[in-house]
Amino acid sequence: MSMQIDPERNEAKTLQKFADFAGRRVLEVGCGDGRLTWSYASAAQKTTGIDLNESDLRVARIECPSDLSGKTFFAHADSIHLPFANESFEAALLTSSL
Amino acid sequence: MVHALHEIHRALVDGGVLIDLRPLSDRRPVEIASARGSVEAGCLTDLPKALADDSAANNAMEQVNAEGIFSMEQTETFPVFYTWDTPNDFREYIADEWSNFLQLDEETFNRVRSIWASADGDARVRLRMKMLIVRWRKR
Repeated sequence: MSMQIDPERNEAKTLQKFADFAGRRVLEVGCGDGRLTWSYASAAQKTTGIDLNESDLRVARIECPSDLSGKTFFAHADSIHLPFANESFEAALLTSSL
Repeated sequence: MVHALHEIHRALVDGGVLIDLRPLSDRRPVEIASARGSVEAGCLTDLPKALADDSAANNAMEQVNAEGIFSMEQTETFPVFYTWDTPNDFREYIADEWSNFLQLDEETFNRVRSIWASADGDARVRLRMKMLIVRWRKR
Protein backbone atom coordinates (compact mmCIF):
# COMPACT_ATOMS: atom_id res chain seq x y z
CA MET A 1 0.00 0.00 0.00
CA SER A 2 1.34 3.39 -0.92
CA MET A 3 0.12 6.26 1.19
CA GLN A 4 1.43 9.65 2.17
CA ILE A 5 0.62 11.72 5.21
CA ASP A 6 0.79 15.47 4.78
CA PRO A 7 2.90 15.56 1.59
CA GLU A 8 2.62 19.39 1.63
CA ARG A 9 4.17 19.43 5.14
CA ASN A 10 1.42 21.71 6.44
CA GLU A 11 1.84 20.34 9.97
CA ALA A 12 5.57 20.99 10.09
CA LYS A 13 5.21 24.46 8.59
CA THR A 14 2.44 25.48 10.98
CA LEU A 15 4.31 24.04 13.95
CA GLN A 16 7.39 26.02 12.99
CA LYS A 17 5.27 29.18 12.86
CA PHE A 18 3.74 28.50 16.28
CA ALA A 19 6.76 27.41 18.29
CA ASP A 20 10.42 28.19 18.31
CA PHE A 21 12.10 25.03 19.54
CA ALA A 22 15.64 26.26 18.82
CA GLY A 23 17.94 25.45 21.74
CA ARG A 24 15.03 24.15 23.82
CA ARG A 25 14.49 20.87 25.60
CA VAL A 26 11.33 19.52 24.00
CA LEU A 27 8.94 16.82 25.19
CA GLU A 28 6.70 15.32 22.50
CA VAL A 29 3.72 13.42 23.87
CA GLY A 30 2.34 10.94 21.34
CA CYS A 31 5.39 11.02 19.07
CA GLY A 32 4.36 7.83 17.27
CA ASP A 33 6.89 6.83 14.64
CA GLY A 34 8.61 10.24 14.78
CA ARG A 35 7.10 11.60 11.58
CA LEU A 36 6.68 15.09 13.03
CA THR A 37 9.69 14.85 15.38
CA TRP A 38 12.14 14.96 12.48
CA SER A 39 10.74 18.32 11.37
CA TYR A 40 11.91 20.24 14.45
CA ALA A 41 14.38 18.08 16.41
CA SER A 42 17.50 19.32 14.65
CA ALA A 43 16.89 22.83 16.03
CA ALA A 44 16.08 21.65 19.56
CA GLN A 45 18.77 21.17 22.19
CA LYS A 46 17.27 17.82 23.15
CA THR A 47 14.03 16.07 22.19
CA THR A 48 12.27 13.36 24.15
CA GLY A 49 9.40 11.59 22.45
CA ILE A 50 7.03 9.41 24.41
CA ASP A 51 4.30 7.09 23.24
CA LEU A 52 2.39 4.04 24.43
CA ASN A 53 2.74 2.20 21.13
CA GLU A 54 5.93 0.11 21.24
CA SER A 55 5.72 -0.73 17.57
CA ASP A 56 5.70 2.95 16.58
CA LEU A 57 8.55 3.69 19.00
CA ARG A 58 10.60 0.92 17.40
CA VAL A 59 10.11 2.53 13.99
CA ALA A 60 11.07 5.94 15.41
CA ARG A 61 14.31 4.57 16.87
CA ILE A 62 15.22 2.81 13.62
CA GLU A 63 14.39 5.78 11.40
CA CYS A 64 15.98 8.43 13.61
CA PRO A 65 18.32 10.40 11.31
CA SER A 66 21.99 10.03 12.23
CA ASP A 67 22.42 13.75 12.89
CA LEU A 68 19.74 13.54 15.60
CA SER A 69 21.16 10.59 17.48
CA GLY A 70 22.55 11.71 20.83
CA LYS A 71 19.98 14.49 21.12
CA THR A 72 16.72 12.71 20.32
CA PHE A 73 15.35 10.00 22.58
CA PHE A 74 12.23 7.87 22.64
CA ALA A 75 10.58 6.24 25.62
CA HIS A 76 7.55 4.12 26.36
CA ALA A 77 5.71 6.31 28.83
CA ASP A 78 2.25 7.48 29.78
CA SER A 79 1.48 11.19 29.92
CA ILE A 80 -0.44 10.65 33.15
CA HIS A 81 2.79 9.60 34.91
CA LEU A 82 5.66 11.40 33.18
CA PRO A 83 8.99 9.87 34.22
CA PHE A 84 10.72 13.26 34.32
CA ALA A 85 11.74 15.65 37.06
CA ASN A 86 9.98 18.96 37.57
CA GLU A 87 10.88 21.67 35.07
CA SER A 88 12.77 19.36 32.72
CA PHE A 89 11.52 20.97 29.49
CA GLU A 90 11.09 24.41 27.96
CA ALA A 91 8.49 23.16 25.50
CA ALA A 92 5.97 20.34 25.21
CA LEU A 93 4.11 19.18 22.13
CA LEU A 94 0.92 17.16 22.29
CA THR A 95 0.67 15.36 18.97
CA SER A 96 -2.91 14.19 18.54
CA SER A 97 -2.67 12.86 22.05
CA LEU A 98 -5.21 14.77 24.10
CA MET B 1 -6.63 14.17 30.07
CA VAL B 2 -6.59 16.84 32.74
CA HIS B 3 -4.11 14.68 34.72
CA ALA B 4 -1.83 14.60 31.69
CA LEU B 5 -1.99 18.38 31.38
CA HIS B 6 -1.09 18.73 35.07
CA GLU B 7 1.86 16.39 34.53
CA ILE B 8 3.04 18.40 31.55
CA HIS B 9 2.66 21.58 33.59
CA ARG B 10 4.90 20.04 36.28
CA ALA B 11 7.53 18.99 33.73
CA LEU B 12 7.67 22.42 32.07
CA VAL B 13 9.80 25.32 33.31
CA ASP B 14 8.03 28.53 34.28
CA GLY B 15 6.98 30.29 31.12
CA GLY B 16 7.35 27.08 29.12
CA VAL B 17 5.30 26.51 25.98
CA LEU B 18 2.71 23.81 25.36
CA ILE B 19 1.59 23.14 21.80
CA ASP B 20 -1.65 21.21 21.35
CA LEU B 21 -1.85 19.79 17.82
CA ARG B 22 -4.73 17.50 16.88
CA PRO B 23 -7.40 16.74 14.29
CA LEU B 24 -10.83 18.27 14.84
CA SER B 25 -14.10 16.49 14.38
CA ASP B 26 -15.31 18.19 11.27
CA ARG B 27 -16.39 17.50 7.72
CA ARG B 28 -13.77 15.12 6.24
CA PRO B 29 -14.00 15.30 2.44
CA VAL B 30 -12.60 12.53 0.28
CA GLU B 31 -11.32 13.75 -3.07
CA ILE B 32 -9.80 12.33 -6.20
CA ALA B 33 -6.82 14.57 -6.87
CA SER B 34 -4.56 14.79 -9.89
CA ALA B 35 -2.31 17.43 -11.44
CA ARG B 36 -5.38 18.81 -13.22
CA GLY B 37 -7.34 19.39 -10.00
CA SER B 38 -9.57 17.57 -7.55
CA VAL B 39 -13.12 16.22 -7.44
CA GLU B 40 -14.94 15.60 -4.18
CA ALA B 41 -16.44 12.12 -3.89
CA GLY B 42 -18.03 12.34 -0.45
CA CYS B 43 -17.11 12.48 3.20
CA LEU B 44 -16.08 10.17 6.00
CA THR B 45 -18.36 10.09 9.02
CA ASP B 46 -17.09 10.58 12.55
CA LEU B 47 -18.08 7.72 14.84
CA PRO B 48 -19.19 8.44 18.42
CA LYS B 49 -15.70 7.72 19.82
CA ALA B 50 -14.15 10.40 17.61
CA LEU B 51 -16.76 12.93 18.68
CA ALA B 52 -16.34 12.00 22.35
CA ASP B 53 -12.53 12.24 22.17
CA ASP B 54 -12.75 15.64 20.53
CA SER B 55 -15.16 16.90 23.14
CA ALA B 56 -13.07 15.50 26.02
CA ALA B 57 -9.91 17.17 24.69
CA ASN B 58 -11.68 20.52 24.40
CA ASN B 59 -13.11 20.15 27.91
CA ALA B 60 -9.69 19.30 29.35
CA MET B 61 -8.10 22.37 27.82
CA GLU B 62 -10.99 24.54 29.02
CA GLN B 63 -10.54 23.18 32.52
CA VAL B 64 -6.82 23.93 32.77
CA ASN B 65 -7.49 27.34 31.27
CA ALA B 66 -10.07 27.97 34.01
CA GLU B 67 -7.58 26.75 36.64
CA GLY B 68 -5.20 29.39 35.37
CA ILE B 69 -2.18 27.10 35.03
CA PHE B 70 -1.83 27.79 31.29
CA SER B 71 -2.77 30.83 29.28
CA MET B 72 -3.74 30.57 25.63
CA GLU B 73 -1.64 32.67 23.26
CA GLN B 74 -2.52 31.67 19.71
CA THR B 75 -4.81 29.29 17.86
CA GLU B 76 -5.31 28.32 14.23
CA THR B 77 -6.82 25.61 12.07
CA PHE B 78 -5.26 24.26 8.90
CA PRO B 79 -5.74 21.33 6.50
CA VAL B 80 -3.65 18.17 6.37
CA PHE B 81 -4.00 15.70 3.52
CA TYR B 82 -3.63 11.94 3.53
CA THR B 83 -3.24 10.38 0.10
CA TRP B 84 -3.42 6.82 -1.25
CA ASP B 85 -2.57 5.37 -4.65
CA THR B 86 -5.86 3.51 -5.06
CA PRO B 87 -9.38 3.36 -3.55
CA ASN B 88 -8.65 -0.11 -2.17
CA ASP B 89 -5.54 1.20 -0.37
CA PHE B 90 -7.69 3.96 1.08
CA ARG B 91 -10.39 1.59 2.30
CA GLU B 92 -7.86 -0.83 3.73
CA TYR B 93 -6.16 1.93 5.72
CA ILE B 94 -9.46 3.18 7.16
CA ALA B 95 -10.34 -0.36 8.22
CA ASP B 96 -6.91 -1.06 9.74
CA GLU B 97 -6.19 2.23 11.47
CA TRP B 98 -9.34 4.27 12.00
CA SER B 99 -12.25 1.84 12.22
CA ASN B 100 -12.99 2.96 15.79
CA PHE B 101 -13.15 6.61 14.80
CA LEU B 102 -14.26 7.01 11.19
CA GLN B 103 -16.70 5.32 8.87
CA LEU B 104 -16.45 4.99 5.12
CA ASP B 105 -19.90 4.10 3.83
CA GLU B 106 -20.35 1.91 0.77
CA GLU B 107 -21.96 4.67 -1.30
CA THR B 108 -19.02 7.02 -0.77
CA PHE B 109 -16.53 4.26 -1.52
CA ASN B 110 -18.32 3.40 -4.77
CA ARG B 111 -18.19 7.06 -5.83
CA VAL B 112 -14.48 7.22 -4.96
CA ARG B 113 -13.85 4.12 -7.05
CA SER B 114 -15.92 5.34 -9.97
CA ILE B 115 -14.34 8.83 -10.13
CA TRP B 116 -10.84 7.42 -9.65
CA ALA B 117 -11.37 4.86 -12.45
CA SER B 118 -12.18 7.57 -14.99
CA ALA B 119 -9.58 10.09 -13.77
CA ASP B 120 -6.09 10.81 -15.09
CA GLY B 121 -3.37 8.24 -14.51
CA ASP B 122 -1.76 10.27 -11.74
CA ALA B 123 -5.01 10.50 -9.74
CA ARG B 124 -4.84 9.59 -6.07
CA VAL B 125 -7.41 9.34 -3.31
CA ARG B 126 -7.04 12.26 -0.91
CA LEU B 127 -8.60 12.82 2.50
CA ARG B 128 -8.70 16.32 3.93
CA MET B 129 -8.43 16.58 7.73
CA LYS B 130 -8.96 19.79 9.65
CA MET B 131 -6.24 20.27 12.26
CA LEU B 132 -6.19 22.51 15.32
CA ILE B 133 -3.02 23.99 16.75
CA VAL B 134 -2.98 26.00 19.98
CA ARG B 135 -0.04 27.53 21.81
CA TRP B 136 -0.35 27.72 25.60
CA ARG B 137 2.08 29.31 28.05
CA LYS B 138 2.73 27.94 31.54
CA ARG B 139 1.75 30.46 34.19
